[in-house]
Amino acid sequence: MNLEEYRTVFVAGSLVLILIVAAPTLSLIIAFPGGSKRFSELWVLGSNHTAEDYPFNIAPNHNYSMFLGIGNHLGYCAYYLVEVKFRNQTPSSLLALFNITAFVADEGIWELPLTFSFDYKYNESLSQVKFYSLTLNDVTSDMRNYTVAWDSKNNGLFGNLFFELWLYNMTSQSFQFHNRFVGIWLNMTV
Amino acid sequence: MSMPKLLVVLLIFLAFVFPIFVFRASASSRDAATSAISQAEEVVASAYEAVLEAEQAGANVSGLLVRLNEAGDLLARAQVAFRLGDFDETVLSANLCSEIGEEVRSEADELRVKAYGVRVTGSWLTMTGSLVGVVTVFLGSFWGWRVFKRRCIRRVLRMKPEVSADES
Repeated sequence: MNLEEYRTVFVAGSLVLILIVAAPTLSLIIAFPGGSKRFSELWVLGSNHTAEDYPFNIAPNHNYSMFLGIGNHLGYCAYYLVEVKFRNQTPSSLLALFNITAFVADEGIWELPLTFSFDYKYNESLSQVKFYSLTLNDVTSDMRNYTVAWDSKNNGLFGNLFFELWLYNMTSQSFQFHNRFVGIWLNMTV
Repeated sequence: MSMPKLLVVLLIFLAFVFPIFVFRASASSRDAATSAISQAEEVVASAYEAVLEAEQAGANVSGLLVRLNEAGDLLARAQVAFRLGDFDETVLSANLCSEIGEEVRSEADELRVKAYGVRVTGSWLTMTGSLVGVVTVFLGSFWGWRVFKRRCIRRVLRMKPEVSADES
């Protein structure tokens, strides 16, 4: 190795060392892209806090329990709104029966135990269930406009209790649908 | 007009007037409840914005999030009470929610200022450390190169030329 080659090695080594020493300051100026994706989780768990034993066969005025959870991986603390809705077989834009708000820290989870019961009566002549109310965590909501008709294909009176996740948008200063929903199908026994 | 007749007329008059007063009172409590809810919603949203800014400044906002969740619960309770027509409960819950929201907002502002101060000091320390490091590496490399070069030259100068005999 001649002197010129030694000099190149010295300069390269010095530059590497300078980069290492200056890295903390460079990290303040240059934003390095994050390796992970930004997303939110929404889940419903059964009464044993597992993904089983979900309520299915429902009797009027009986209490059923499950867990609703949100996981935040957005990179900042988020302000969520969960809209609780009920529908029969045909999906439609429905009004929320309940609104649940949650502030979740970044990489944090939020969970809420839910206890619910339906008050309804079966109308034999119309073969349909007419609802009166839904009580969720001791708060009652009026459901007098809701009915579920007999599903002859699946032999039951089915309704879907579902939860939509909305996220507060700082720019528009309003909640926007966060493209996540979970729900459970319920069979209204008579 | 005799006394009983006057009493009857008065009762009939009251029967007409009373519902109007009741309706007005009810309408006014409904308005008060609506306004309390909108104010609470605004306060919670602005408190959340303040918490977000504090978090971006590097503050630990976990305690504030717990309080914000309390405010959120009260807001939900106010909305349910409003739907059930319990306007007194609506105003009570919404006002309590606004109170918590205001407290959170001011605490978040304080935290943001503190965190910003800590962050600026930390940044200065980092930059000073880096600068000192870069200068040290630069000068050290320069000095090291000179020493290395001098030694190399000395070694070359100490070398004795060898003459090999040409036997052909």
